Amino acid sequence: MKNQCEKGLISYKWRKGTLIIMKQKCAKLGRQISQNKTVYFMLLPGLFFLTIFAVYPITWILKNMFYQFTSYGDYNFIGLENFARLVTDPQFFNALKNTIVYAFFKLLITIPLAFLLAYFLNLKLRGRMIYRTVFFMPTIISVSVMSMVFYLIFNPYNGSVNGMLQALGIIKQPINWFNSKNAMITVLIVAIWGAIGNYMIYFLSGLQTIPQEVYESAEIDGATGWKKLRYVTIPMMAPITQMVIMLALIQAFKDYENILVLTAGGPNNKTEVLYLYIYRLMFPMGDSMGNVVLQYGYGATVAFATAVLVGVITMLYLRWTRKTDDTF
Amino acid sequence: MSTKYKKLLQKLIVYVLLTCVAAAFIYPVLYVICGSLKTNMEMLAGGSLLPKSWQIQNYAEVWEKANFAQYTFNSLYICFFSTLGAVILSALTAYCLERCNFPGRKIIEKVYLATMFIALGSVTLRPLYLLAVEVNLQNSLWPIILITIGAQGTNVFLITKFIRGLPRELDEAAIIDGCGPFKIFSRVLLPLLKPILAVVALFQFRLSWNDYITSSVFTMTRPDLRPLTVGVVQLKYGASAAMEWHLMMAGAAVSILPMLLVYFACNKYFISGITEGSVKG
Repeated sequence: MKNQCEKGLISYKWRKGTLIIMKQKCAKLGRQISQNKTVYFMLLPGLFFLTIFAVYPITWILKNMFYQFTSYGDYNFIGLENFARLVTDPQFFNALKNTIVYAFFKLLITIPLAFLLAYFLNLKLRGRMIYRTVFFMPTIISVSVMSMVFYLIFNPYNGSVNGMLQALGIIKQPINWFNSKNAMITVLIVAIWGAIGNYMIYFLSGLQTIPQEVYESAEIDGATGWKKLRYVTIPMMAPITQMVIMLALIQAFKDYENILVLTAGGPNNKTEVLYLYIYRLMFPMGDSMGNVVLQYGYGATVAFATAVLVGVITMLYLRWTRKTDDTF
Repeated sequence: MSTKYKKLLQKLIVYVLLTCVAAAFIYPVLYVICGSLKTNMEMLAGGSLLPKSWQIQNYAEVWEKANFAQYTFNSLYICFFSTLGAVILSALTAYCLERCNFPGRKIIEKVYLATMFIALGSVTLRPLYLLAVEVNLQNSLWPIILITIGAQGTNVFLITKFIRGLPRELDEAAIIDGCGPFKIFSRVLLPLLKPILAVVALFQFRLSWNDYITSSVFTMTRPDLRPLTVGVVQLKYGASAAMEWHLMMAGAAVSILPMLLVYFACNKYFISGITEGSVKG
């Protein structure tokens, strides 16, 4: 009995104590807030932009995944129907397949080439600044405008690629670069042209952080040019390479502007990637009669699924590379 | 002697390789510039890269007939305000997040980080378009300007990192002199931020000058509001210009030459910006 009384007393005191502490905390918080009035005022524009252009679209998607829009302008709650449609949508899986093919081949060619160019530029040759400027240049120019230019360059009849190949005698008949067999290759060539320079700069800055002494000691151990590259440069570059692959992977998933202008996903949806599919759901062109089926709700669902997918792939990649880090 | 000879040969091979790749990189740009000076017949016939006679009037034609004067004005307008807005916004926010200790700072930082890693793409343009219609802004260039400014997550972190490298004693001295947060920012830190703000401005200039998707969505019903990128790509779809390659080239040249000039003038800033941003993660 006494024991219980004591317990009650203690808990009462404790409660009173926390109340006082909380009151003090509140007062302190209020004081801090009023002291920082100017700071909040200065943050206002930033918070405004953050809310409108980053948070608001995300919440819009999270809400509208569960809705269906009608052509009359209103929309209805349909629960998980959009998700049911997603898992049986052949267009979604086609776009997913194309995205993976696109990302895989883009990385497979871009990363080694970017590394090689950076390695050459790091040899301290004369005129390397000019080469660096040229290699980085494609990342500066508008993707859409250059895609249009490539559309003309790869044109089957008047394009200069076929003209050059024919003049060199490599091909006899002009190649149709935009048929269902070649369109993805053409898209990839244009994407790689635009991407190498960026990753080359990352590699170059990484190569410049390798201290000269490491090479010198390797030379004393008898390493020559190729061995130095294989046993010194490449292992030393592993962390940078990991980061570059991750950035390139995320970027490859996000590309669609170039494909939109080059092929618009065609022919036969052979080059349609996920983000392009989302774009066409959100901004439909309408059929020949001008009828537009509004699918914003379903578009939001696809966008959500894609964002989750990209997130999962990035996380898996991070985990996987951390594991390989441990083993080596 | 033989090792010297071998080294020279190696160097030569590297040079040849680099030059081949450089030629492939620069070819499309040369194609645009040379093509913009050819006649349409010459353009379609293919053949040599250099034009036979210089057709400067292509530019005049595209400038007047294809409405490129208006497009150029729109592009410059968007770029100017977008760059200005982005620099002010990201500098202010970065200063507050890095140097001011106020309640709620951690949460705001986390929201910035979270939104940077969510890749939603074009889907965000639909709610923003609906919003623009609601506030009756859809018939102006301002939605494009505001959206290209966006949340500025990357730039905020770029500047935050730069501010972290500046000594805190500067702020403290200013506080003793009686400066409030805004005065510390505008009088003490802002002049020191110039190099990083130049990088942010260049990146934002590139982003807003090259923007295509946002601009094309917001100018679907208003051709007179199109910036250059959209105007050029529309030449591809235009029924009348179906085969006017020389005009497409002249249009493309108008839209990429300013960017190239800026790049050649400040390519050091561009490259330092890329490498600085990369060390963040």
